Amino acid sequence: MKFLLFRLWNYLRGYVIIIVEGFFLEKFINICARRGIRLWDVRLQAERRVTAKTGISGFRLIRPVARKTGCRVRLLKKRGLPFVFSKYRRRKAFFAGAVLFFILLNVLASFVWCIEITGNEKLDRVFLENALAANGIRTGVLKYRIDTRRAVDRMMLDVGRLSWISISIRGTKVKVEVREREDLPEIVPRHIPCDIVAQRDGIIRQVIAKEGIETVSEGDTVKKGQVLISGRVPVKGGEQHRLVHAMGTVMARTWYEGEAQVEPERAETVRTGRVIRDHSLVLFSKELDLIRKRVGFSEYVSEESRKKLTIGDDLVFPFEWVTVSHYEVVNLQASISEEDARETAAREAYKKALGRVPDGAEIMRENIYFTEQDGKLTAKAVLECIENIGRPIRIGGN
Amino acid sequence: MARSNAAGKKGNKKAAGKKSNDKKSVKEKFTEMLELPKDLVLDRPKLTLVGNRDMLIENYKSVLEYDTGVLRINTGTGMIRITGSGLSIREITSDDMVVSGSVRSVEFIDAG
Repeated sequence: MKFLLFRLWNYLRGYVIIIVEGFFLEKFINICARRGIRLWDVRLQAERRVTAKTGISGFRLIRPVARKTGCRVRLLKKRGLPFVFSKYRRRKAFFAGAVLFFILLNVLASFVWCIEITGNEKLDRVFLENALAANGIRTGVLKYRIDTRRAVDRMMLDVGRLSWISISIRGTKVKVEVREREDLPEIVPRHIPCDIVAQRDGIIRQVIAKEGIETVSEGDTVKKGQVLISGRVPVKGGEQHRLVHAMGTVMARTWYEGEAQVEPERAETVRTGRVIRDHSLVLFSKELDLIRKRVGFSEYVSEESRKKLTIGDDLVFPFEWVTVSHYEVVNLQASISEEDARETAAREAYKKALGRVPDGAEIMRENIYFTEQDGKLTAKAVLECIENIGRPIRIGGN
Repeated sequence: MARSNAAGKKGNKKAAGKKSNDKKSVKEKFTEMLELPKDLVLDRPKLTLVGNRDMLIENYKSVLEYDTGVLRINTGTGMIRITGSGLSIREITSDDMVVSGSVRSVEFIDAG
């Protein structure tokens, strides 16, 4: 390690390999040592001839010593970085290019070239991008101009449906992380009288009224819009009602269904293996077509792949290589086994049903069955859930 | 550690002194009393041999003979003769030198 460092140091400083010939080699070495000329790797090559290495400054001092001791010094090789540089010193264009490269790299690296948005589920990416652009964050903007803290505040106010947002600049990339807010449930103010009304059809499992009168009981089948806990509390011995703000939870069993037809045949597109690729280059935001061929296929699917020029993960440059591949396809009607067909349909039906289950509902039972109608088989998935179906609705209002 | 080493050296010196009937100089006695590093004060060479491959010689005076098989070095206490094969001077400055190659023997010739 020590010697490695030593060699590196020698390389950086530059050194020469010399051949010394003469009768008084020892004297030569002694005088060199005494005058502070550092010699290393002194090796006897033949009788009265030695090779040695010495620094650049040492080499300048070596001539008088050689003359004094009657030795002949010849330069064998020049080694090290200073010689490499002096070799390129005359090549101005090369140096200008190197300098220009670093300047360009720095200039390009001080702009934003990529915006990465993560965490959005319901919010549209384009919508968020537009909101960011309105606050000065878009591709091509000088990154030192961006005030992330202010942008965070503005985004929270502008978008309104965010619970949290973080904006950070990494290299030429702006990383935006968002968390969406759940939609607020409709709230009827505490002082306004209301009923608890069924949000959807179901069978009552449990009614807990904190305020108001229960109008349904366990086992009742209720329809959407039916009053479950009434805010009209009858006053004893009279026809009159006292209006209250009904509160409580009404747990009910609900069902969600999904259907999908069992297809005995499946349309399949199969790639024939023939492919035509178009290449284009995106510079900043201009797209330059490099190779664009005529696609002679009767039917084809196209796939686009984009490669951005990046250094590491975060240093993204505004150069993009776009390859569009057109694959020739043929459409085939493949018949599949009934079992497979049923399974595919069942899965689809289940997925549809699951998509209808609202947040907060707990799935208790899953059922899948098949019905036949007009010779066509249909898969049906039924999900039985338990959820709170009560929703406060203002009395007298809507 | 250093102390015990110094004491050991002292004992050896005394024994050698009795045999050759040689008296220690005042300067040597003085440095032993103060436990000063002898190689610096008394201008003695310090040899460090790593196996038989690399040898660091500190405080040398001059190179008297250099050949691939023999290396004679003048020091403050006389001449050191190193024999071996493929000897080369890997590094040489005004105070110390590193010799590499395979060393067979190190001799002290007319050392005081």
